[in-house]
Amino acid sequence: MARALLELLKKTFAGAVLESWSQHGDETAVIEPSRWHDVAAFLKTSSESDMSMLTDLTAVDFPDRNPRFEVVAHFYSLSKGHRVRLKARIGDPAGEHVHIPSLSDLWGSANWLERECWDMFGVVFVGHPDLRRILLYPEFVGHPLRKDYPADRIQPLVEYRDVPAIDKVAPFHHDEGMSFGRQTFDHIGSADGDDPELFPGQKAN
Amino acid sequence: MEPIDQDLYEHEIDLPAEPMLLNVGPAHPAMHGTVRCVMELTGESIVKVDVQVGYLHRGFEKMCERGTWTQVYPYVDRCNYISPMLNNVAFSLACEKMLGIEVPERCQWYRMALGELARMSDHLTCDGAMAMELGAFTPFLWMIKAREMIWDIMEEETGARLTHSFGRVGGMAFPPTAGFKETSRATVDQILKVVEEVERLLLGNRIFLDRLEGVGIVSPEDAISLGWTGPCLRASGVPYDIRKSHPYLKYGEVEFDVPVGQTGDCFDRFMVRIEELKQSARIILQCLERMADSGPVNVDDPRVTLPDKKDVYSTIEGTIRHFKIVMEGLKIPAGEVYSYTEAGNGELGFYLVSDGSGTPYRVRIRPPCFLITSGLERVITGQMIADVVPCFGSLNMIGGECDR
Amino acid sequence: MPTFKLDDREIPFEPGDTIIRAARRSGIDIPHYCWHPGLTVAANCRMCLVEILPPPGRPALSLAVLSYDSKTGEYVDQKKPKLQPACQMAVAEGMEVKSESSEHVDRARSSVQELLLLNHPVDCPICDQAGECRLQDYWLEHQHKSKRMKDEPVHKPKGVVFGPTIVYDAERCIACTRCIRFCDEVAKDPVLTLRERGNLNEIAVAPGRQLDNAYTLMTEYVCPVGALTASDFRFKARVWFLRSARTVCQGCSTGCNAFLDYDPRTSTAYRYRPRENMAVNKYWMCDEGMLDYRRVHDGRVLRAAIDGEASTVGVALDRAVKLLGGVAPDGLAVILSAQHSNEDNFAFAKVARDVLGASKFFVGGRPPGEGDQVLREADKNPNTRGATSFAGPAPGSMKDFGDAIAGGKITAVFALGSELRELEASVLGRLGSAVVLATHEGPLAERAAVLLPTSSFAESDGTFVNSKGMAQDSEQALGPLGDSRPAWKLAAALAARLGRDFGWRKLADVQKAMGPDGGVAAERGSAQAGAAS
Repeated sequence: MARALLELLKKTFAGAVLESWSQHGDETAVIEPSRWHDVAAFLKTSSESDMSMLTDLTAVDFPDRNPRFEVVAHFYSLSKGHRVRLKARIGDPAGEHVHIPSLSDLWGSANWLERECWDMFGVVFVGHPDLRRILLYPEFVGHPLRKDYPADRIQPLVEYRDVPAIDKVAPFHHDEGMSFGRQTFDHIGSADGDDPELFPGQKAN
Repeated sequence: MEPIDQDLYEHEIDLPAEPMLLNVGPAHPAMHGTVRCVMELTGESIVKVDVQVGYLHRGFEKMCERGTWTQVYPYVDRCNYISPMLNNVAFSLACEKMLGIEVPERCQWYRMALGELARMSDHLTCDGAMAMELGAFTPFLWMIKAREMIWDIMEEETGARLTHSFGRVGGMAFPPTAGFKETSRATVDQILKVVEEVERLLLGNRIFLDRLEGVGIVSPEDAISLGWTGPCLRASGVPYDIRKSHPYLKYGEVEFDVPVGQTGDCFDRFMVRIEELKQSARIILQCLERMADSGPVNVDDPRVTLPDKKDVYSTIEGTIRHFKIVMEGLKIPAGEVYSYTEAGNGELGFYLVSDGSGTPYRVRIRPPCFLITSGLERVITGQMIADVVPCFGSLNMIGGECDR
Repeated sequence: MPTFKLDDREIPFEPGDTIIRAARRSGIDIPHYCWHPGLTVAANCRMCLVEILPPPGRPALSLAVLSYDSKTGEYVDQKKPKLQPACQMAVAEGMEVKSESSEHVDRARSSVQELLLLNHPVDCPICDQAGECRLQDYWLEHQHKSKRMKDEPVHKPKGVVFGPTIVYDAERCIACTRCIRFCDEVAKDPVLTLRERGNLNEIAVAPGRQLDNAYTLMTEYVCPVGALTASDFRFKARVWFLRSARTVCQGCSTGCNAFLDYDPRTSTAYRYRPRENMAVNKYWMCDEGMLDYRRVHDGRVLRAAIDGEASTVGVALDRAVKLLGGVAPDGLAVILSAQHSNEDNFAFAKVARDVLGASKFFVGGRPPGEGDQVLREADKNPNTRGATSFAGPAPGSMKDFGDAIAGGKITAVFALGSELRELEASVLGRLGSAVVLATHEGPLAERAAVLLPTSSFAESDGTFVNSKGMAQDSEQALGPLGDSRPAWKLAAALAARLGRDFGWRKLADVQKAMGPDGGVAAERGSAQAGAAS
């Protein structure tokens, strides 16, 4: 039944549906980012689809692709029992221009889901009422689920907020603790890194 | 000096009035796990609240990208850590959906039985904690005692009480023990008795009912819009249970009912869980009856299942198979899947993206109680402070799942 | 372009190609053990068997076989097509080949794999090839079943020392003869042969000889299983912990393309592997070059030193500035290094010329060694042409440098690298103040007034120009070891402290300053990764 939905989408939004396919029993459609809100609104309001729930909204980072990020949203219809996955590809390989319209005016669940997506990937949801970090603290630097964020990066120490004279213990140095891991070891300095010993005034890498 | 007994009308007095900011901080006995609610109050009622989660964020989704598919199990265990078996089974089903394999029947019944036991443990904890926070300590201890019995079974089957990492792609880590069926039947019996006693204790209590009924009402439209699923959604009157609507494993072949509430208040959420305990018991007994006593538990596919240790040590093929699965990870063909099951709190979804190698490319855990907690604002605003406790308790926010 | 069909895909081929070579050109891998693109065809492993459909109008070449029907428990007559080895079969226009899509080929591959593993020892936990072993990969892909043999496997000698660099394990050997063909055809030293027959096959070294030619490590490299192992790498590291950087071998001016395998957790380089580049080294590297990776760690200068006393880089830089600032440009000798990349030499030379006003340039490096007709050059420096091109119109040789010192014309030395070619170190006895940026210990480094630790080629990207004039890029593998910094960075820091800040903070800045041709008349070589079979 969701396949019929894909056909309906392709008919109604001929230019906006860039690709569509079925795999493992899931139906997916790739949408032009500028039409993201229109397509989602149609899915919610049209009687054939009646997508009452936005069950999940997240992103995936493909650093070798351009556009780099894929925003993935899953919809479910309580009345009809069908699901569909919508994707939109945004952002350039440097990680800039990562924005897409927000769905928070259509579904309440979009509010926190989009905040988490912003937090983890840096995707800006245009029109979101309150786009700030949700799972991480506000002083966090970077967007951790991006592939170029190494899992063992040490964050800068946050200035302790307005409570005087409390000692903070330094976090683990990168060569202490568990060293085994499969992928990222990017704490090892690059030849290009900042070097205050050679160029006083630069910050340490 | 003015006479004390002179009537003072409030509007005649110029009292300083500004909203009071109350911080129900992350370290608070009623904030299950760690959640910070910054509330703006006038008098006792809450005008605005900012729910801040994330204190238990451990970066699971990033960590999953650093290991193999089998190494994800410890992470998903620690999501909803009160019912970890449901998380294990959900992840196994997601990987198997991508691989296109189906586990043997014996394993399906086994997974269902363990999963429902975990669900019972989840509901016992939630309702027990709710009762305790309202002052009823005794039912809490009784329900924890019941939960201990479930955890004893888990320890016997898996080796660990709580975070057992027992699921595997293509089956389970070990087959059921010899005494599993007997112990489970006896335990389920005991638990039902405990639930009965708790009901007798609580449901006639005026204070308990007053504090829960009519408090924290969520309309079905609100709940659906917020993406609520599970007991909280069903309490608001929407009869959506994935086990009935989109049956997986053998849920289509067992008989059970789905309790649905009427008003969507805290009492309904409490009662839905109590009733679900009884339904879970029914399911478990049916599963135990239908589960074969012998036969394979893991699918016999050399791509996913580890070989017997004696083969590993004596034949080159066993060694190679073991080596490839463990060192490189089982290779799931490139693609993506969204797989969903009914976990303790609702629709636990896994959106997995594979690039064809043994390392997951993206593991997205769709946490049911993240969305439920996002509704906390709507539930509390307008209520009084004292209502925060039952409201929050009835939502069953598990920090591990909300924050991952 | 003529094409043929492989699994219903049109694949172009060049006349004279075999099926497997044409498929490889298009990026399709037909499983094989004994074939290697750089060696002649042996066709003894039978893993690359494919089904070739008969031309239209001709009957298929088929064999009568007995196959076991498990339902009836009887052997029944069946016909199956005769499969051909893809490594030997020449491609013709319009040929139709079935590889993955044919069930006969599937069964053939499964049987070959079963046969190869029949007597194979359960060595994976201790075998160096684990993780890059074809038996493992093909077993999972093509056979994934247990073998049917219940007998004790054949036992053969293990740990046989073939020579100073290679150890042989006969039980793991699948007798593909790649090593024999390599020694015969590429190293031109037919020292290996196959002895005994059937399942007692073993590789043997010619009597009275050892496997000691200049390319022995290539036999280990072509061996698809763990039968031949390099004693240098044996039991040192597990390959799945290693990452590869695409570098250029620093052993001589051939500039063979290589993969430097290093462990990022400990920042240690473990070995080289050749990288395919048909224009430079084809598929091979020599022993000297393969073992040259040790220079990433051995004999390194990792701490700054002032007059032999250990110091920090910042303090040493200040001291260098003081020394060089007060030197007369006429008496300053600048030594560039044929061991360093273009970027290092360019930055160094520019600072020397523009900031210090020097005009006496010399090019240092390792002394020449043995060359041959196969791969090795006598010039044992990777970037002689590059360094020389930055040394100005009339660079002096090391002999001139020696003469100049003897004649007292040199009062100070500003040197990159500490090698002096054939010059005797004793000549340096009457040296004035020397500021040396060195990666390794050497005669200049010992006598330096200020010694600055420099990063080797593995710790920074760089470009090296080989003897044929090709400029090749080398990728960074490790972070700078110890206190060392890349030479271009140290030069930039010196210049900044001397009042001329060129603004070089990243390698890209230096490369931009070098200009589009890098200031060197060189043909841009390719550093794209070429995975060899």
